[in-house]
Amino acid sequence: MKLIHHTISKLSIVMIVILTFWAGFFFFSILDEILDETDDSLENYKHLIIQQVLRDTAAIHNNSDLMSQYFIKEISETQAIHYEERYFDSTRFYEIEYEFDPVRVLKTAFQGQDKKFYELTIMISTLEQGDMIIAILWSIVILYVTLLICILVVSEFVFRKSLSPLYKLLDWLNNFTLGGKNSPLKNPTKIKEFQKLNDTILKMTRRNEEMYSQQKQFIENASHELQTPLAICQNKLELLAERPDCTEGQLEELEDIHRNIGRIVKLNKSLLLLSRIENGQFHEIKEITLNPIIKELTEDFQEIYEHKKLHIEIKEDAICNVRMNESLANILITNLLKNAMIHTPNEGNIIVHIQSSGVTFANSTEGDSLDQSRLFTRFYQADNKKKESTGLGLAIVQSIINLYHFQISYFFDGKHHFDLRF
Amino acid sequence: MKILIIEDEKDLREVMTRSLEKERFIVETAVDYPTALQKINDYDYDCILLDIMLPGGNGLSILEELKKLKKRESVIIVSAKDSIEDKVTGLDLGADDYLAKPFHLAELHARVKSVIRRHQTDGNTEIEIENLILHPDDHTVFINGEELKLNRKEFDLLYYFVTNPNRLINKTTLAEAVWGDNIDQADSLDFIYSQVKNLRKKMKNAEAIPEIKAVYGFGYKLITTPEA
Repeated sequence: MKLIHHTISKLSIVMIVILTFWAGFFFFSILDEILDETDDSLENYKHLIIQQVLRDTAAIHNNSDLMSQYFIKEISETQAIHYEERYFDSTRFYEIEYEFDPVRVLKTAFQGQDKKFYELTIMISTLEQGDMIIAILWSIVILYVTLLICILVVSEFVFRKSLSPLYKLLDWLNNFTLGGKNSPLKNPTKIKEFQKLNDTILKMTRRNEEMYSQQKQFIENASHELQTPLAICQNKLELLAERPDCTEGQLEELEDIHRNIGRIVKLNKSLLLLSRIENGQFHEIKEITLNPIIKELTEDFQEIYEHKKLHIEIKEDAICNVRMNESLANILITNLLKNAMIHTPNEGNIIVHIQSSGVTFANSTEGDSLDQSRLFTRFYQADNKKKESTGLGLAIVQSIINLYHFQISYFFDGKHHFDLRF
Repeated sequence: MKILIIEDEKDLREVMTRSLEKERFIVETAVDYPTALQKINDYDYDCILLDIMLPGGNGLSILEELKKLKKRESVIIVSAKDSIEDKVTGLDLGADDYLAKPFHLAELHARVKSVIRRHQTDGNTEIEIENLILHPDDHTVFINGEELKLNRKEFDLLYYFVTNPNRLINKTTLAEAVWGDNIDQADSLDFIYSQVKNLRKKMKNAEAIPEIKAVYGFGYKLITTPEA
């Protein structure tokens, strides 16, 4: 939900409540006012009639016109003494309209010139409440809709205009990639808060960029610095193992150390390769046909496949051409092939399916589906940690794929499938 | 055969020297750029091992210097950087090979022997050990004049052994030689074990005098002469 829609929806709910209360208040106050006015005119009317009657006894008769009506009736003295003047609502039948209309009635008593007591009933036609309620309701609804439309239009306009720097900034941030090529932030605004937001975000991204490149540089430098001491350790061990006075037990220990140094070397090289890929140090790009590369590499692994009694099948639907760095193409395919091979149990099978737009690597397994979210992260190794495996193979694959904006997906249907799309 | 090692790291220089001397090379060393420059001016070498990050100057300019002097020594760049640019510039400037640190001594021997062999002008590139002759260029092996059929991995392994005769070669070193690059190598030791077993069997059946011996716990060794 957009900020503007959120605001407007809240606003319209509040408006409904306010307008409802206001409508009620309006209705009752109008009603009250009308009643007041009607009672006032009844009072006036009463005085007029009584004056007329006192002047002229002949006027003591009933009178009726469209708007009002009065009746005069003689009452006993005792009745007159206890008489209380009262106002009340009633209805009266109009023959013309042939319906009952609401009337306001005043009943009072007075003493005529003939010392007799009379009761005076005056009726004035008054307004119909039902009609009024409907009229008021309608006007409220119209008011509400009109107000809502006005608010909608105005706020949409004002929002768009005043929040445009925010949306621009959001767009820019959305397109921002660490270590990528980012366009400079062009977002001039007079609003202080937005200016500050611009500045803060610029500062933050710059700091991130700096830290990111520093970190990349650090990994690369650290890897470089490790190479020479590692070489010394490894080579000294190799010489040491050749000394004739080494016993078998010592040789075994030496081999363990040597193998572990070998692992460090491999890890170090893989990390270096990763940071090189991420630092864009493989910039030479050309059109590469993957079919021969895949065939060559599988041939290279032929003896290993035979050793593990693996069956490898290459299905070639089409020639797959892709624009990328040649050594990276080799590394990419090698890693995927090795990954398939390492995780296939003995006597299993591997199927490489080459299409014009991508390559799929499928291998049989005794295991279950792998954790997709962690599959391509560094040092992730499924279930059993393989000795000698760096856990960086698929991370290297991922970083090559990111570099060229390719896609790789994994799915499981009894076999592991790695689907590479260009 | 004379080799010049240009390397500023003392320990590494020493270990390389000792190992190459075992292979009966005459080894000289230079610790920095000026010494190296002086040595290549004054003497001739069969092979130069060149570290390109040197105190006092870039190792790549040694290559330019060699070109100017019209010397044709084999040069192997030994670098901790392992970057493609360096490799390409080095090879363009006339280096014969590029070896990234860290390396195995067996790998170093193989590379040195390979560049020296390629530089020999008499066209005799084969390696002969007793009754075994190995042709590195056309990937063939003959024992007593008869060809020994090997698959590619077996050949690669044998090549490693013959370039490091009588030297103890570690299992992981062999695995790397066979797998080629530095990426994931799980399961490879088991494979090496079976490949070496096959290779030994084939050599034994062909009655080769050199023999691959397993050194318990560590690796293998090619014994060139029959034990007395």
